[in-house]
Amino acid sequence: MNARYWLALRRKPGMFPALLALWGLLALPPVRYWLEASMTRHMIVQMPLLVAIGSALAHSLSRQQRCRIVAAAGGPLALLTLASFASTYWMMPRALDLAVASGAADAVKFVTLPLLVGLPLALAWRPLGVLGRGFVWTNLISMLVFIGWLYIAAPLRVCNSYLVDDQARAGWWMVYAAAGIFATWLGALFVGKPPATVDTPCAAGYPAI
Amino acid sequence: MADYNYVAPQEHATKGGVLAYLLTTAAVLLLMMLFGLVMRAEQAQLISIGANAFYQLMTLHGAGMVGIAGIAGAAIMWHFLGQYVRLSTTVLYANLALFLVGVAMAIGAVFIGNFHGAWTFLFPLPGNSMGLWSNEAAATFLAGMLVLGTGFLLFQLDIARALIATYGGLGRALGWPQLFGHDDGKAPPPTVVASAMVTVVNIVALVVGASILAMMLVNLYYPEFAIDPLLAKGMIYFFGHVFINATIYMAVIAVYEILPRYTHRPWKANKIFLLSWNCSTLMVMFIFPHHLLMDFAFPKWMLVMGHVIGYLNTFPILIVTGYGALILVYRSGIVWDMASRLLAVSMLGWAAGAMPAFIDGTIRVNYIMHNTLWVPGHFHTYLLLGMVAMVFGFMYYVTKPAAQHKDALIDRLAYWAYVVGSFGFALAFLYAGKESVARRYAEHLPAWVPYDRIGTAFATLVVGAALVFVGRFIARLAHARSAHLRAPAPLGVAA
Ligand code: HEM
Repeated sequence: MNARYWLALRRKPGMFPALLALWGLLALPPVRYWLEASMTRHMIVQMPLLVAIGSALAHSLSRQQRCRIVAAAGGPLALLTLASFASTYWMMPRALDLAVASGAADAVKFVTLPLLVGLPLALAWRPLGVLGRGFVWTNLISMLVFIGWLYIAAPLRVCNSYLVDDQARAGWWMVYAAAGIFATWLGALFVGKPPATVDTPCAAGYPAI
Repeated sequence: MADYNYVAPQEHATKGGVLAYLLTTAAVLLLMMLFGLVMRAEQAQLISIGANAFYQLMTLHGAGMVGIAGIAGAAIMWHFLGQYVRLSTTVLYANLALFLVGVAMAIGAVFIGNFHGAWTFLFPLPGNSMGLWSNEAAATFLAGMLVLGTGFLLFQLDIARALIATYGGLGRALGWPQLFGHDDGKAPPPTVVASAMVTVVNIVALVVGASILAMMLVNLYYPEFAIDPLLAKGMIYFFGHVFINATIYMAVIAVYEILPRYTHRPWKANKIFLLSWNCSTLMVMFIFPHHLLMDFAFPKWMLVMGHVIGYLNTFPILIVTGYGALILVYRSGIVWDMASRLLAVSMLGWAAGAMPAFIDGTIRVNYIMHNTLWVPGHFHTYLLLGMVAMVFGFMYYVTKPAAQHKDALIDRLAYWAYVVGSFGFALAFLYAGKESVARRYAEHLPAWVPYDRIGTAFATLVVGAALVFVGRFIARLAHARSAHLRAPAPLGVAA
């Protein structure tokens, strides 16, 4: 296993208050309204940030806690499945509309994106290995391009809350994001030194994130 | 100074998974060659199956051959790369299983659903069959390609994982420290460099391929979601061209690994070798617009790029490998047997096959030659006599009973039949192309038929030779399972 990941993913307990503050900031009505007023900001800025908060939360847990959650959930694949179902829901235009129209639905989004997408994804991340992670990345990239195209090419408004030009703009941003993620992920595969250290896996045999 | 002494590699048994790949290759290759022969005989008006059946066979021949070239290349890469890094057998089998599912879907789409929109599934043809096939048939074919691509993506990701686990990153696997710094003679072996290159380009190609396939699947049922046909063509050709190119870069590993065993001379990755593979890693991804030179609506810079990179990329790996093979063999005292012969001739086939592409990659020439049989002439030369010759050479090598084993007369005859047959077959295409005979025509004008007949005769020779190769491979399969010396020592060198 690669020492770089181990260092990068060491416990960062000081992060928890900072995360809470960021979450609170995003939830502040003016910030929330501003981000949700445009489809692009809603989908490309606010939602990924909520996911990132969840994954950062995972890193503020202790090693034992992480191992325990992974084992209790039934392993990394179960966590990945949970994250993909939860994120799929929030990709539906109807869900987006609901989040804009109803405060309760938006609250659900603010809780589920970090806890049911970001957190499980981060916990499953390292145990997935280069192969599993690569599969998640490549899927994400091709699906971002695909969904981006759907938004660009759609002859009608997919959300009641947003206009067609905003929709097309969001689509293009998804395509740009896909290209950026692709270049970054592939570029990251190029760098690195031969492994020097091996870290101890969880009792269940999964490498700790 | 780099240290380039020959160290005999450890011989090892062929894994069951690799043999499963090779057996699949043998079966699919033979079947697809037969389809090819039938197509050629139809053009030669020796038989009459009709245009519909011709296009069904053409669709399966294209998809099947490209797919099986991928499987055969993957088998060679996995077999030799396994000496240097730890690969996953589960992923190896998963790829084969997904391949078979994808092929079954394609066959079903073609023979049951009557889909015959060619392996390139060029937009908007699959969704505009004018009643000849249903959307379901087209969707099954496209989904089959998606399944097949997913298998290869997993396979490549596993190679990436294994390379990173051993070398730390793909940069090191591509020999960057030696390329950009001091060549300490410790660059990764050619097999590792080639595998890293193939992994990078194939991952990019497969992701692009998956995106366009998903888009076309939606468009089939909801045509209001329009696709820009030029964009679709660019994406499809990028995917298809990179993927088929990568197959020969995988198969050439057989040359890098096996020829040194016959000549007792090392094939090391020196700076020039590394430079050429690194350059091609980039160039292979930018060369595909040479298929689009006819599409004047493409941005001009893309066409110029296709022209220039098409010229440039013809050379690095080909010359480094061809020249490398020549100096390896020259006065080495190599003992020629079926494996070493097929591998040596594959260098010739590859080089000869690249030339027509080089010529056709010139914009002025392309105006006239594009979409003529010149193009199948080009790729059948480098695929049949280059890529597939490497695969047959590998099959002979892994099943060789003993180092000193002598080949039977029938194998040697089959070798010559294969070489002469492939050249004749490809030249008949090339000559017809020069005479402006269009490609992908089921029915030919009377004036074209003589070339078709000559081509058919040579194709029969190729199929006959391939039958012998495959028969020998299956008959000697058991020998692949033991770890014995296979390459005879060069003359004048103690074994
Ligand atoms: C005995 C050997 C073979 C025969 C007789 C044969 C015959 C043919 C014929 C007649 C065509 C249609 C040409 C046209 O009119 O456009 C064709 C196309 C093609 N062949 Fe082969 N072929 C053989 C081997 C191979 C091999 C080994 C490969 C690849 C590994 C291959 C890949 C292709 C591809 C990609 C096409 C293009 C299909 C299309 O235009 O959609 N063939 N072949």
